[in-house]
Amino acid sequence: MDSLRRALTQVGKVVLGKDEQIRLAVACLLARGHLLIEDLPGMGKTTLAHALARIFSLHYQRVQFTSDMLPADILGVSIFNADSKSFVLHKGPVFAQLLLADEINRATPKTQSALLEAMEERQVTLDGETHPLPQPFFVVATQNPVEQGGTFPLPESQLDRFLMRISLGYPSPQAELALLAAGDRRTEALDLKPALTVAELQQAMAAVEQVHVSADVLGYLQRLLEHSRASGLFVAGLSPRAGLGMLRAARAWALLGGRSYVIPEDLQAVLVPVCEHRLQPVSGGAARSGVVRLLEAVPVVP
Amino acid sequence: MARVYQVPHHAFGWLVAGTALAALPHLLHGPFWLQALLPLAVAGRLVMQRGRLSVPGRGLRVLLLGGVLLGTLYSHGTVLGPEAGTCLLVGAFALKLLEMVRLRDAYVLLVLGYFVLATSFLFYQGPLAAAYSLLVLLCLTAALPGINRPEAGLRSAVHGRLAAVMLLQALPLMILLFVLVPRVGPLWSLEFNQQRARTGMSDSMAPGEVSNLSQSTELAFRAEFHGAVPPPAQRYWRGLTYSWFDGRRWSQARPRDLPQRDYVWFAERAGTPPDWAVDLLAAREQGPELAYRYRVVQEPSRRNWLYTLAVPFADDRSLGLVRDMRLVSQQELEQRFAYSVTSYPGLAGQIPLADGERAFMLQLPEGFNPRARTMARQWRDQAASPQAYAQRLLNWFREEPFYYTLQPALLGEHSVDEFLFDSRRGFCEHYASAFVFMMRAAGVPARVVAGYQGGDLNPLGNHLSVHQYHAHAWAEIWLEGHGWVEVDPTAAVAPARIEQGLEMALEASDFSLLRRAGDRVPGLRQLRQQLDYLQFAWQKWVLSYDQTQQMSLLQRWFGRASLMTTGLLLALGAVLIVLVLALWVLLRHRAPGRTALQREYRAMLRLLRRRGVAVSEALPPRKLAGQVRQQWPAAAALVEQWARLYEHSTYAKAPGGANVTGDTKAPGIRRPKRALRQLRRRLRWVRGPGAARTVQDAS
Repeated sequence: MDSLRRALTQVGKVVLGKDEQIRLAVACLLARGHLLIEDLPGMGKTTLAHALARIFSLHYQRVQFTSDMLPADILGVSIFNADSKSFVLHKGPVFAQLLLADEINRATPKTQSALLEAMEERQVTLDGETHPLPQPFFVVATQNPVEQGGTFPLPESQLDRFLMRISLGYPSPQAELALLAAGDRRTEALDLKPALTVAELQQAMAAVEQVHVSADVLGYLQRLLEHSRASGLFVAGLSPRAGLGMLRAARAWALLGGRSYVIPEDLQAVLVPVCEHRLQPVSGGAARSGVVRLLEAVPVVP
Repeated sequence: MARVYQVPHHAFGWLVAGTALAALPHLLHGPFWLQALLPLAVAGRLVMQRGRLSVPGRGLRVLLLGGVLLGTLYSHGTVLGPEAGTCLLVGAFALKLLEMVRLRDAYVLLVLGYFVLATSFLFYQGPLAAAYSLLVLLCLTAALPGINRPEAGLRSAVHGRLAAVMLLQALPLMILLFVLVPRVGPLWSLEFNQQRARTGMSDSMAPGEVSNLSQSTELAFRAEFHGAVPPPAQRYWRGLTYSWFDGRRWSQARPRDLPQRDYVWFAERAGTPPDWAVDLLAAREQGPELAYRYRVVQEPSRRNWLYTLAVPFADDRSLGLVRDMRLVSQQELEQRFAYSVTSYPGLAGQIPLADGERAFMLQLPEGFNPRARTMARQWRDQAASPQAYAQRLLNWFREEPFYYTLQPALLGEHSVDEFLFDSRRGFCEHYASAFVFMMRAAGVPARVVAGYQGGDLNPLGNHLSVHQYHAHAWAEIWLEGHGWVEVDPTAAVAPARIEQGLEMALEASDFSLLRRAGDRVPGLRQLRQQLDYLQFAWQKWVLSYDQTQQMSLLQRWFGRASLMTTGLLLALGAVLIVLVLALWVLLRHRAPGRTALQREYRAMLRLLRRRGVAVSEALPPRKLAGQVRQQWPAAAALVEQWARLYEHSTYAKAPGGANVTGDTKAPGIRRPKRALRQLRRRLRWVRGPGAARTVQDAS
């Protein structure tokens, strides 16, 4: 528990003034979920991903997605070795514990789906042979929401693979001053000392699954899901998978809060990052305001 | 400046419509200033709702109220009594619309609206009034939940639907209460304004009065027959008899030496019935062949005589049977009155002429009408019997050029002489008067009978509607061996009047005097009949449902139990029904499985809201406590403690479960529900969040 808290503090020293987002990102990883960071360039997306990899001492790979990329560039390729007269698998960058998929929406759908399949199955099939991915396996993908030229926006079904979508946003004035004074943080991210070993991380992930969820909280979650479907705020309501994701995320959030049980506040804290990218508002309005209205409309206690 | 209370937008329409419609019936008969006040108040409220006007100041309010008081005094001369009282009430009600400062005032206004609506039944009781009151009820009932829902963006129709459902749910209860609630006589009697004069028969008759009356289309009464309806020629509705003639005017009178006790018999009063009544009852026991059974619903007449066919026996023992074969009630009819009667036309001859009565029935003033007297004596001497004499007189009416008309000539001092020998134009009262005069002059006891003849048969309800234009006067003569015999000289002159009704008997120039030309249009006549039937059914089933009817209904249901037992049983049944309903509501309320802790949470929300802390039900305990810290700092510590305890007892793992993270132990409380309740109750002693309010107002 202390090590987790230490991890949060350390990442906070690198990504300044973004404690909430850091905590969400860590909760996402603890909940065995993939993370999508949506923001403008230069907001610290990559730094955050680096810091996360370092702090949990994860094997880390980074792929800059481009439109001419092929699935093999991510998954790997079998090459015929003339000496041994056999095919030797050259594993792609996906064979890492943490994969940073930068600007995922620049790749063609074919490449995107290759990665997304790996995310879901946590294994890669090449030439009829199935290769399990390392444990644990996280994907942190980033995308630029503004620059849409030459991009292939992720379809809803694939957005669904990400447990959370967060955005960092501009830093606060104090954080920006500190940042300007200290210079680029990316190198510092690389210098971070691991706070947890991989084994400890896996222990924490197991602990998340032990966090108690009372019937009252389940009822509240169910009412939230129900309302997303019945309220008419969205084109389609939340899926049961989204509900399960909410539960995992809330458990992780509770654990980070130092509790062994989930309270409604946990659900409320993760509702926007978990659900916003899965919901399409009926007309006009941003999904975020829709989700916030959802939050305001559903009573905590029936 | 006083702040104007803003009725929620979605409820405003209902509120204004409800209040305005509730007051509207009173404007129909109210004074002019009241008619002006209500629209002004509504307009004022509309402007206030827009925020363009603030609540009138104290001075202005006192002035307005004083104005209403003075206006009432000016228009009615008093503030007491139904008219003045409702006038004052409606005036104050309209002003309250302007004085809505808080939510509480809106409640007062709406509840007052129900009362104002109820008072309109003092003046209007028809089926249309009832339908209208349902509409007003809908508006008022829709406004009530509406003002309790402060959230914006609701649609008004939501409240309307809710109110409609509530009213429909209340309907069975309303019917049950209508049938079962004991009808207690009024604790106080309402004195209505005497200015509202009634048209109808009076206790005396001079030439020209009945013909005037017959130009009115007002309803006199309706009679619903069980079984056969008498043919038109026998529909003689006897109201009263005139036996005193002063030369011009016939008046109702009782022979001086006949005691009142012997003249009217009230079955419910103690004592033996007079001899003639005993004879009548005995004759009735033998079962006369012809009997008509019917129920009369008589419009308020301000008189105490009732209208029945000859020799009536009333079911209601409080009514009196009079020696001249008619019924009277003990009070004058200030309200619509219903009575069931069985009439035996064959018993008319059973009533003897009392000793002093013969002379009385021969009374004529000296010195009037010498020509008629002479002729009467001559003809009587020539005739073999009184019957023959009467027949000769009727034949004379028939054969000589007598005219039946609504426009008779004016008659002078010797009215009978002038009519019989000069003008020969008259309405029924002229003929009846002349006939009785001629009979008396010849020594045959006779009297004038006044009432109604005929009636429009409404096939829908098998009832006769008798209007003022059916007013009629005819004669009765006493014949030895036959008793009182009905003679209608008008039938001799204008048989069509009796057989087919007034309009058939009149000349064309008279017909225009009758304001009933529409009757000749077939569709209109049918519509009128349907409307007439609707009103009659309403009167019969709703308005005339009184204690007597209630008792007979209950006896039919519960047998001949005593009043006490029936009452107790009904009360017990009502209590049981209410208990079962209450239990059902309670259980249903808990049906979604709200646990004790969840109820505790709702209770806390309610408490905070009552104390003026704006909290949403989407707030979990910790955030709730945070809100309280901002809005009601004095209570923050308690609510935080409560929130911690609530959170722990609701969401944490049950005792015995392994703690994953080793978080702090539960606050060592064995009975969290009780502890939570106690914490919540301690909030009562914390002073209200007054400080927080000023902060809000300033922002």
